[in-house]
Amino acid sequence: MATIEGRNTILLSRGAEAEVYLVDFFGLRAVMKKRISKKYRAKLFDEVFIRNRTRVEARILSELYEAGLIVPSVLFVDEENGVLIVEYIEGVRASESFEKFDLGKATSISRRIGGFAARMHSLGIYHGDYTLANVLLRESEVYVIDFGLSGYSSDVEEYAIDLHLMVRSIKASRPLDAEVLIKAMLDEYGSHYRGDYREVINRMKEISVRGRYIDREVRKSIMRERYIA
Amino acid sequence: MSILNKEYELYVSVKPVRREIRVLGIESTSHTFGVGIVEYSGGRVKFLANAYSQYKPTSGGIHPRESFLHHVNNAPSVLRKALELAKLGIKEVDAIAVAVGPGLGPCLRVGASLARFLSAYYGKPIVAVNHAVAHIEIGKLVSGFVDPVIVYVSGGNTMILVQKNKKYRVMGETLDIPLGNLLDTFAREAGIAPPYVVEGKHAVDICAEWSREYIALPYTVKGCDLSFSGLLTAALKIARETRGDKEKLGTVCRSLRETAFNMLVEVTERTLMLTSKNSILLVGGVASNTELRRKFEYIAEHYGVGFYGTPPEIAGDNGLMIAYTGLLHYLYGLIKEPNSVFIKQRHRLDEEEYPWLP
Repeated sequence: MATIEGRNTILLSRGAEAEVYLVDFFGLRAVMKKRISKKYRAKLFDEVFIRNRTRVEARILSELYEAGLIVPSVLFVDEENGVLIVEYIEGVRASESFEKFDLGKATSISRRIGGFAARMHSLGIYHGDYTLANVLLRESEVYVIDFGLSGYSSDVEEYAIDLHLMVRSIKASRPLDAEVLIKAMLDEYGSHYRGDYREVINRMKEISVRGRYIDREVRKSIMRERYIA
Repeated sequence: MSILNKEYELYVSVKPVRREIRVLGIESTSHTFGVGIVEYSGGRVKFLANAYSQYKPTSGGIHPRESFLHHVNNAPSVLRKALELAKLGIKEVDAIAVAVGPGLGPCLRVGASLARFLSAYYGKPIVAVNHAVAHIEIGKLVSGFVDPVIVYVSGGNTMILVQKNKKYRVMGETLDIPLGNLLDTFAREAGIAPPYVVEGKHAVDICAEWSREYIALPYTVKGCDLSFSGLLTAALKIARETRGDKEKLGTVCRSLRETAFNMLVEVTERTLMLTSKNSILLVGGVASNTELRRKFEYIAEHYGVGFYGTPPEIAGDNGLMIAYTGLLHYLYGLIKEPNSVFIKQRHRLDEEEYPWLP
């Protein structure tokens, strides 16, 4: 660790779960994600939690990278200490810039976001926190970052949640042309998803009415399709 | 220490009123029938009365019909007791507030019928209050927090909220069962309840003291949303295998509680980071859980933000919070005619605008 926590270490952000640093990794600019131990968790839970999340994140990042998806590459993993070092991407978070783009550019980004999700889901992987805050834009490239909540699953539920979160995020960022952008994203998703994408889309609609105390009629009209079809 | 007769500065600015305003609030959404009275004068709110009677099932969970019968039988005496405590006659009250939802239909009807009657017979304006909003508003008043991250956990709700553009905005919530429901259902199915709460301690907390061990259980956080149903199923499956072994059951209880609370704290942390608010407010029935409060105190200290958990008297369902929220409605002129007040079993708190919110 001595080489990493050197003079060039800069704190990039402090999240709920981890601290993210810009570090010098054997001469390479890299991002170090250090999961923080939480006092409120019992010791056993804390250790298992940090180890598992670090391991899963590293494994999924490398798998996606090998499959040719645009994610930062993994450079170093230390499960015991909850440390993950990945390639540094010098870009802007889509959550900060998305609302400023013209419709054409925003549509093209939405399309890439949809395509990424479809290819990721086709590998049996879900992101778990798929929002604009976790999309990085560098020139014309669209990177997806932060796989801290990701996992393996063949359940369309998990895939649908990814889409649901992204739809909510796009709506919050550009409420006026959300419809066009969401359509672009889902169309692209449909043409790259390996299974039956309508199943995922239907589940996504269902999730949006699943919260508590939703109007019964609204919920019924959407849930009906699932049971009749 | 009772909160009765305490005074709190009203944080919203309304045009000054010349005399005292008193609002009587009726709560009957679930197992509690409660009547509370608040008084407003000179920019301060005073709690005059908080009377209640609780339906406690002897076996199983809350049966809506049984709870309804309990409310019908106890409503008159609770109302009388509240007026006695406040040393007031019903004529000296300015408005009647009632919780119209969310809740159990038969139970809600008792409160609504009583409120409509009082309003029509004595010619008092009536105010329809959202039960969930009332939990939060009284927490904000007592804590003095104006714009906190709100964690609302009870038997019927689990939500992380913030206020924005005069609306409550749900940052995360449970996708299936609420936290209180998880604990109650587990306790019931594992055979350690009813009674669910003994001397302020939940059956799961009591059971958790039988062991020092932990086992891993499903932990489901999706962004800022939570899911407890898988955790419940897994915990029950293991609980059934313990076959009366107290220590083993204790391990399950301890792990269930730890897992569920860690999930809630994690999404609260995430919301705190996303919104950069400087305080956390814990409200709802589960807010009186000491273990949960301890966890929140840790993160509040870690991030250097304020923390307040509502005390048991006003954490669980009560009439006082309805009266106080009714007062807010009244001060903003949001009053109704008795024939236009209906119960609403599904009444989300993020649908309407509330003019006093930031």
